[in-house]
Amino acid sequence: MQSANVLLKKIVRSSVLPFAAQHGMKKDLFPLSRTLSLSFCLKQDNSCNPSEKLDLDAWKKVMRSGLQDEVSETVSERKELSTLAAAREVLEMWRLAGRSVPENISEEQLKTFLECPSKSAKKKYLKYLHLKELHKKNDKRKMDEKRERRLETEERASKTDETKRNSFVCLWANCMDRTYGWRAAQSMIFGQPLVFDMSYEKDMSVREVANTVRQIVLSEGCNRRSVDPFHIHFCNFKGDSLYHKEFVKHYREAWGKLLITVTDQCYTDVFPKDKLIYLTADSPKVMKTFDHDKIYIVGSMVDRSIKTGVSLARAKRLGLETAALPLEKYLLWNTGAKNLTLDQMMHILLTLKDTGDWKAALEFVPKRKYYGFVSKPVHELKKNLNLINTLKLGKRQEEVRKQFAKNYSKKLTQK
Amino acid sequence: SIQPPEKPLQAEEWNRLRESFRSPEIFEEVMFNSMVRCNSPIDVAKSLLTHVAKSKGDIAYNLLIKYLALCVQQGQTSEIRDTYDIMKIRFRILESGAYNLLIRGLSNSDQWRMALTLLEEVKKIMIPSRTNYESCIKAASRHQEMNLAFELYHEMLAKDLVPTLDVLQAFFDFSRGMKGAELQKELFGILLYLRDNQIYPHKTFMRSIKLWFESIPGGNWRGHLTNIKDSGQCPVCNHQLEDSDLTEEEYNNLRERIIRDVIHGTDTFRKTSPQEFEAFQTFVENRLPFDIVIDGLNVSHIKPRKMQCENLFDAVNCLAKENARLLVLGRKHMLINSSNWKRGIMKEMQNKADFFFAENISEDDAFLLYATLQSGKHCKFVTRDFLRDHKACLADSLTRHLFRKWQRGHQIVFSPSVEGKRINFLPAFCYDCVVQTTGDTWHIPYKDTFEEKYSYRVPRKWLCIQQK
Repeated sequence: MQSANVLLKKIVRSSVLPFAAQHGMKKDLFPLSRTLSLSFCLKQDNSCNPSEKLDLDAWKKVMRSGLQDEVSETVSERKELSTLAAAREVLEMWRLAGRSVPENISEEQLKTFLECPSKSAKKKYLKYLHLKELHKKNDKRKMDEKRERRLETEERASKTDETKRNSFVCLWANCMDRTYGWRAAQSMIFGQPLVFDMSYEKDMSVREVANTVRQIVLSEGCNRRSVDPFHIHFCNFKGDSLYHKEFVKHYREAWGKLLITVTDQCYTDVFPKDKLIYLTADSPKVMKTFDHDKIYIVGSMVDRSIKTGVSLARAKRLGLETAALPLEKYLLWNTGAKNLTLDQMMHILLTLKDTGDWKAALEFVPKRKYYGFVSKPVHELKKNLNLINTLKLGKRQEEVRKQFAKNYSKKLTQK
Repeated sequence: SIQPPEKPLQAEEWNRLRESFRSPEIFEEVMFNSMVRCNSPIDVAKSLLTHVAKSKGDIAYNLLIKYLALCVQQGQTSEIRDTYDIMKIRFRILESGAYNLLIRGLSNSDQWRMALTLLEEVKKIMIPSRTNYESCIKAASRHQEMNLAFELYHEMLAKDLVPTLDVLQAFFDFSRGMKGAELQKELFGILLYLRDNQIYPHKTFMRSIKLWFESIPGGNWRGHLTNIKDSGQCPVCNHQLEDSDLTEEEYNNLRERIIRDVIHGTDTFRKTSPQEFEAFQTFVENRLPFDIVIDGLNVSHIKPRKMQCENLFDAVNCLAKENARLLVLGRKHMLINSSNWKRGIMKEMQNKADFFFAENISEDDAFLLYATLQSGKHCKFVTRDFLRDHKACLADSLTRHLFRKWQRGHQIVFSPSVEGKRINFLPAFCYDCVVQTTGDTWHIPYKDTFEEKYSYRVPRKWLCIQQK
């Protein structure tokens, strides 16, 4: 309790100190400033050695004056600082130095910061907190502006005294919720199952798990709003897991009312093995069509530190069929990994289920990752490319190009 | 962006400049940045500080730091000290950025001992950076305080900080001509540090080492630059360099680690499957020992204009001399008759070498390592792959060093210099490319250029030092 008091005192003091110093000093300094005499000076020729009038070390006097008494106090108190408080002080100095450091940091975040294994990890974590803080601040500002605008329009509306014509609008959201609920309930009985494999917790960091859950929440949302939703299964779901904690954080009391199936069983225990298809970007098999009789499995994993083959290994172990999206077949790939976020997968699968149209489905792949859709078969495109290159660069290049095309199409058929 | 003025300005003039700037609230910061960039005269910066102090009654921490950076850049020792005093008055603690600048600035001046006190101050709030230590060590050795310098060096190593080559070189530079058995032992220690961490000095560093050896009073050391023969003999002193064979214990250790970390890793299914690995193990046990293990798919891409199986065929023929027992690793898709893999040629090859075909989605590299290590110390392997991803799977740096050492002595690589139709291979080194000593000789491999582009390339040039 005592240490908390000391800490509180510190915070109050450190935030007040510069302010007090500023104001206290401005008063003292006033006689020093020479605005009047200067403006007079400027009218004359400036080149008449201005440095003579300039006391270049005047800033030192300013900085040294009036602060000594504060210091003698603080030095004696410094030894009592706990590591947490000391870290807080260092952070404050970093913030003053202009580094990406959050303005406010909670006790818990400070502990996480101290537990970071390396300097770069610490830096990264601080930057993350800083950006989060900025986003939050921006959102709040926007909300405030919006509220102000709304109040204004309401005021104007009340002045013109327009009568409310439809009470229908007020019920819209509620109504939609019920419709969605009805559809989701239907899907629980008749819908095609879609499995999220929740067994990757140990392959992920805490932040990755949080990201995963966020993506699943988005997926569940867009599934609920679709015309013909999947029956979502969370398999291998442990009650005391980090996944669970994060879900509760997101859904709060709605977590118990979700129209999905959550089980700690493996999907192989719930469904017949020959019906299961594990979707993974590492799969050697490419998905050709969406099969309405199969049960697709999506690994609930966000992988920021390139761990290839983790989900493929899981499918291999259980002897399941695997498939990858035919990204190369339909898209001219630009950059980025072939693994997509869970909500993108959900969008793609829903679209495939409804229309079977690959082009429409793959619209949900982020635009930055590809140049465009492949309009013709790949080998025809390559033929055109060869022709252009022969005309442009002569024959030798063509040979190289041919070899490349050959290897490229081989890669396609192999993968 | 913004050009700093050449002469100190009056408050009024700063005000005018500030107002003409598009975002006045960050004017001072931007101005200081460009002052540091243009290395403006210190008086200009002072005049701006004075202006800020007078108009706001205070100077923000980040501006003080930028001013400090300018002073350090120009070696203005008294200004650095003044700024430090002011910072100490104004702020309860300082952060790492300020300390970095202060230590760097003061260590280069006649007040270098002050940098040492600052280093002590830093230690109270965090682990100093390696550049902090570097500045202090250099300052101490510049003033011939070698004991102090080595004390700091050992402290730095104890904190798991990696010294730069620059610091190590400074030790040799400043110890030149100095006497003392203790000092000599310390510097030999640095050479052994290079050995243990498989670091190769660059040319100027090598010169410092050579000059130090030759300057030891009464030491009678002589250094020569040379190229080691392929046989591993030094042409200068006829000494035979040590080979890259691991000891029995190291070898077993490495093999176990490869199986544990590379092949199994977190999940055996990621690279192979338990059934497949078991099948491979029995396959290898039944045919041991091999002399050369070949990564079939890797070799088949050597000449891109040739059919893949032809490349492999050439390689097998080239290596199958003197009844060497070959093992070629491939994947199952090579067995399907295709435009690149002709069944006839594949059949013919299988008479000359043993073949193992892994599943198409398995990693054949892991098998390559296993088969070679299982065959014993004489066995070599062929691939153009640098195996960096496998090295990265190994848990600790000690095993990684063992792996590198073993790789240097056992990997046969395709020779790129031969432009002809035939495939040629460079034999694996029969000596180990690492700093080594016999007591009265030292052999030190060095890099020709300061920035060696490829970390995997081992140097061919050596410094031979012998005691007469």
